[in-house]
Amino acid sequence: MAPIIELRNVYKRFGDNIIYEDMSFGVEPGETFTIIGGSGMGKSVCLKLMIGLLPYDAGHVLYRGKEVGDMDAENLRELRRNVAMVFQGGALFDSMSVFDNVTYALREHTKMSDQEMLERARECLDMVGLGYDKEILYRMPASLSGGMRKRAALARSIAIKPEVILYDEPTTGLDPANIERIGHMIRKLQKELGVTSIVVTHDMPIAWKCSNRVAMLWQRKFPYIGTPDEIQANPAPEVHEFINGIYHEDQD
Amino acid sequence: MSVRRPFEYIGEAIRAGFDWAGGISLLLGRALLRGVQRPWGIYDVFNQIVALGIRSLPLSTLMGVFVGMALTWQFGEALMGFGAKNAVGSAAALALVRELVPTLMALTIGAKIATGVTAELGSMKVSEQIDAIASLGADPVKKLVWPRLVASTVTLPLLNIYGNVLALIGGAFIADIVFDVPAEYFYETYIDELYPMDYISGLVKSFTFGLLVGLIGCYQGFQTKFGTEAVGISTTNTVVATSVAIIVFDFVLTTIFLPVG
Repeated sequence: MAPIIELRNVYKRFGDNIIYEDMSFGVEPGETFTIIGGSGMGKSVCLKLMIGLLPYDAGHVLYRGKEVGDMDAENLRELRRNVAMVFQGGALFDSMSVFDNVTYALREHTKMSDQEMLERARECLDMVGLGYDKEILYRMPASLSGGMRKRAALARSIAIKPEVILYDEPTTGLDPANIERIGHMIRKLQKELGVTSIVVTHDMPIAWKCSNRVAMLWQRKFPYIGTPDEIQANPAPEVHEFINGIYHEDQD
Repeated sequence: MSVRRPFEYIGEAIRAGFDWAGGISLLLGRALLRGVQRPWGIYDVFNQIVALGIRSLPLSTLMGVFVGMALTWQFGEALMGFGAKNAVGSAAALALVRELVPTLMALTIGAKIATGVTAELGSMKVSEQIDAIASLGADPVKKLVWPRLVASTVTLPLLNIYGNVLALIGGAFIADIVFDVPAEYFYETYIDELYPMDYISGLVKSFTFGLLVGLIGCYQGFQTKFGTEAVGISTTNTVVATSVAIIVFDFVLTTIFLPVG
């Protein structure tokens, strides 16, 4: 099956800081693909390259075979209608209510009536476990807890029913019950709607539970890609130490 | 090496200046190109006019009244020495309408608008809200820059008109109370001294300042790097850039309008 998103021989740097060198991988339609790796190595950059939020220096970033770097404004808009992103801190719009946040993409891309948008917003908030609060639609992001903001951001991303969702550390800062809820939601979206998910995370239990494949970023590439079982059985010391959280004092 | 270093710094500063001017021109071009396309975002523009303009009214009031009073007092004192205190209205009119009200309004209200815009957009940038707008298929320039640019360009001339009226009232008050020149007489000499081109030059100045203020505020906000400290740095840079731009453009516009007037 042709990959839905493919990165081929990608090079990316910020000034003198080289992030990717000849980096390649592909994501199959319908799979949950998890990216792991050390902090500050550029995992989130990878997600931003996929939807054209950051330019790449060389190589190819392809969505359904089309070069993202060559897309004009209209094609990028269409790409972003199909590929949604959940940001690390939620990135809810402070000046808008939860309802306006959740329905933002619907207003941009569809001609749904207010009633239809209201129903979709409720459905999405139910899905992320915020439906119990009847007033939440009218609350401002500043009045929500960190976990609620993150889940509202998730609701905003799924409202447009994208075919791919990019998650940038979706469970960071959440309590164990909400971590489990997010993991359950990723699996549910995959099973019921066939959504492709690309998850950047440090949360290894979520990575093992949700993923079809896991890729580890190491030395500006993804040399280790495989099923959760394959990655866990990988004998490379860097993989073993990372996934088991092994720390050596002499590394300080 | 040590001889070359100052030249390297100068060269670097010139390059940074060109980068900045290029970046800001590109942003203006993109905003104009996207802004004129439908939907025009009238609701967003109106919201920004309220946010940037209406909320600046108290400061504009204070600035208008006090600059009118201070300048009239200064001119009155000087003219009394020549026994020409009755000409205080004529003397104050040109300085206020052509120069002081538009420029001081831009330096105070304009700087307030620009820093507010930079702080807001800078915070949105560091919390990835600008990326989120783009990721949801919307255009951040159309959604964020265009309404603020239009609002500041419309707002500053309106506040300039408002400030002129208050400066006239402040001047008339001082003329009457301090110099015993009747307020009605001050008003008549004030208005008689002014020609349409004087009002036009004041309005063109405040229109230009409004555009600069909105543009610089948005550009600096979009250029904010990472972390809350970066928002502070961007805001400080905005104050400097706005002040310099206003002073330079004031001089340029004055040289253009003076031979005409």
